[in-house]
Amino acid sequence: MPPASILDDIELIIDDIGGGGGSRPPVRGDGGDDNDPDRGRDRSWGKPSPRRYATAIALAMISILMFFMAMVAAFIVLRATSGKWVTFHVPWILWLNTALLLFSSLTLETARKKLAASDNRGFRQLWFLTTGLGLLFVAGQLAAWRSLVDQGVYASSTLASGFFYVFTAAHALHLLGGICALFYVGFRNFDKGDVTRALAAEVTSYYWHFMDALWVFLLLLLYFGR
Amino acid sequence: MVRIGARFAMVTHGNPGRGSADPSRSFFSRQLFTTDHKAVGLQYLFLALFSVFLGMGLSLLMRVFISPGPGHIGFFSAPGNASERYAALMLLHGSLMVFFVLTAAPQFGFGYFFLPLQIGAREMAFPSLSALSVWLTFASLLGISTSFFLKTGPGMSLWACSATCFCVADLISALNFCVTCIDLRTQGMTLPRLPMTVWSWLITAVLSLLIFSILLAACVLLLSDRFIGTHFFAVPFAASSALPLLWQRWFWFFAQAEVYVAVLPCFGIVSHLLSVFSRKPIWAERWSVLSLCAVGLSGFCIWGFHMFSSGLNPYAPFDFSMLASSLGIPAAFLIASWIGTLWNAKPQLTTAMLFSLGFLSFFLSGAVTGLFLSWRGAAPSAITDELVTGHFHLVLGIAATFAILGGLFFWFPKMFGRKLNETLGKIHFWLTFVGAYCIFIPMHWVGLLESSGVPSFAGSATIPRLGQNLHSFIAFAAAATVAAQLIFLANFFWSLFHGEKLATKNPWRATTLEWFVASPPPKGNFSVVEPVVYRGAYFFGVPFAGADFLPQLLAPETIVRRSS
Repeated sequence: MPPASILDDIELIIDDIGGGGGSRPPVRGDGGDDNDPDRGRDRSWGKPSPRRYATAIALAMISILMFFMAMVAAFIVLRATSGKWVTFHVPWILWLNTALLLFSSLTLETARKKLAASDNRGFRQLWFLTTGLGLLFVAGQLAAWRSLVDQGVYASSTLASGFFYVFTAAHALHLLGGICALFYVGFRNFDKGDVTRALAAEVTSYYWHFMDALWVFLLLLLYFGR
Repeated sequence: MVRIGARFAMVTHGNPGRGSADPSRSFFSRQLFTTDHKAVGLQYLFLALFSVFLGMGLSLLMRVFISPGPGHIGFFSAPGNASERYAALMLLHGSLMVFFVLTAAPQFGFGYFFLPLQIGAREMAFPSLSALSVWLTFASLLGISTSFFLKTGPGMSLWACSATCFCVADLISALNFCVTCIDLRTQGMTLPRLPMTVWSWLITAVLSLLIFSILLAACVLLLSDRFIGTHFFAVPFAASSALPLLWQRWFWFFAQAEVYVAVLPCFGIVSHLLSVFSRKPIWAERWSVLSLCAVGLSGFCIWGFHMFSSGLNPYAPFDFSMLASSLGIPAAFLIASWIGTLWNAKPQLTTAMLFSLGFLSFFLSGAVTGLFLSWRGAAPSAITDELVTGHFHLVLGIAATFAILGGLFFWFPKMFGRKLNETLGKIHFWLTFVGAYCIFIPMHWVGLLESSGVPSFAGSATIPRLGQNLHSFIAFAAAATVAAQLIFLANFFWSLFHGEKLATKNPWRATTLEWFVASPPPKGNFSVVEPVVYRGAYFFGVPFAGADFLPQLLAPETIVRRSS
């Protein structure tokens, strides 16, 4: 019969552990690499490191990139194989939107600098300016759709227009997620909890710049792939 | 004489409580609306259990459907409707089995439950995402099942929506798994010390993160075709041959890698079980881990090469076969590692071990029958539906199911505090093992017969009659095997409530962390002290008197040299 108590459960009688190999005790502070058995020593037990949000956003960006690249691949394949690629006039407002979005990245970074310098007022102003610019961008995209509809270009009209609507809609949806994050960082009270405002702002900024760069890429693709 | 130090005793003694039970909350809020990783894991497992029985029922229906005899069912054989109904049946069977059983059970069922336990974490990185993913999966199951009863048009739309839902759920879970593995490992749990199971969950999660976004993109384009009238897959604007190919290729790039998503966690579970029950370390453990990575990587690259390097050419046989055969190297290494682990061992033939050995057997048979398929000379004529079906089910469906069952018999005591009945388990194993071979090997023969093209002058009716006999044999074997699963079902539910209670925490004398907490594990897993890990997961058969294993969390300073 196996013994019942927990200690007996794993009782070991050991003749010799010499040369067993691998039974290395944790050595304190021998560097921060991954083989360091002390990694995570500084965090309080039970609360996972807040850096997990940064890891998560990095992985999520890879996944989102795969999503858009799969659609881009479809775009390229269809562009090359379709018999007639009927194009349409890209609305001028897209260029204005792009400028707004690029400018919002700039204000976001400046806001983070203000936060690092603990200028909370300046941070708030710039942060909400960024949020406003993001909202303006989405409104501008809607205006672009509107002007296409006025031209009589619908999603069902041609392959090119279908891609235009799907790309812009998918990007705008992802960007709306970013806007939600901007609002969250702007309004949340960070006094309690393990996440600091600086970390939240940092994570949001990664995503925002990524969305920014992705939009520039998509726009160039749509423009040169006409 | 060695005793475990007080520090370790505190870890285990701190929690007299059973399970995450908080008596003030009702069953529903405790088990259903929870973010607890163990409850989420169990939800995934029960979802899989439901789906696997539904899927098996459907496969029986399919056998009845194609049987030549009088066994037709009124509902299906309405004139003009029959082939469409059969296609719907097959779609439902495939989606249930691939999505909700093969993808969900080994990765998310066991993964959600045991990943945090094995790396010494209290929770997943994002508990609310765990709950969100299981609910999305549930919604997707509901949608896919409902789509079967709708007319073809709306049915297809609902199916596509549900598949999209599943993609999102899978992506969320994969993200959660990756971050948990990267950031939540406990003190001392370095990457080389991770158990094989954790490695396989991590690699699968990375792979899912990449490929499910591709399927998501495909689904989004398909849905926009169906709902906003774009023409990505319908053909009016393009050269006619290109577009269906696009969808096919996309789907197969996903499906190719999806095979590895389903089978990689099974590799991990089997490696783990073989080592525990052989009482031997995994042979060449580090190389096995690298092989797992390589399988994941090349599973993904087969896709990538098609898309990028071969560009528009759908047939790039050289690239494709180079990569497909380079996949053989890590797979062969894994097989070598399993056999190396078994070599000279005195395995304990528990039911869990039997199922792992069954996995090995099916995987090897599948590899052999796969030779028929990869031999290009034979390709067009010999590749009949039956041959492919037989091969696929042997190597993926049945093998993975055996790994899942092995894992279930292994971890059931930890999940519920009671053991599954071993005698019933062994009867179930042998019936299923023999039954599965009886179904799928004759299926290969049918396939070969169909393609053999033996002229019918040699006793004109012999070949067709042989084919028919084989078909009847397969149908009979399938019915018997499905019936044998009732033994498992009975065993499962009986043991859940009346099974033999565990006398110890660690009935299999395993080394990983989950075996040193209460069964079922309490809320928060490890309560008082953070577990510290001092060594790898497979210290078995080290020649100590009295015990043949070293737990991962046993501190070296508590191991004292015997004074004799």
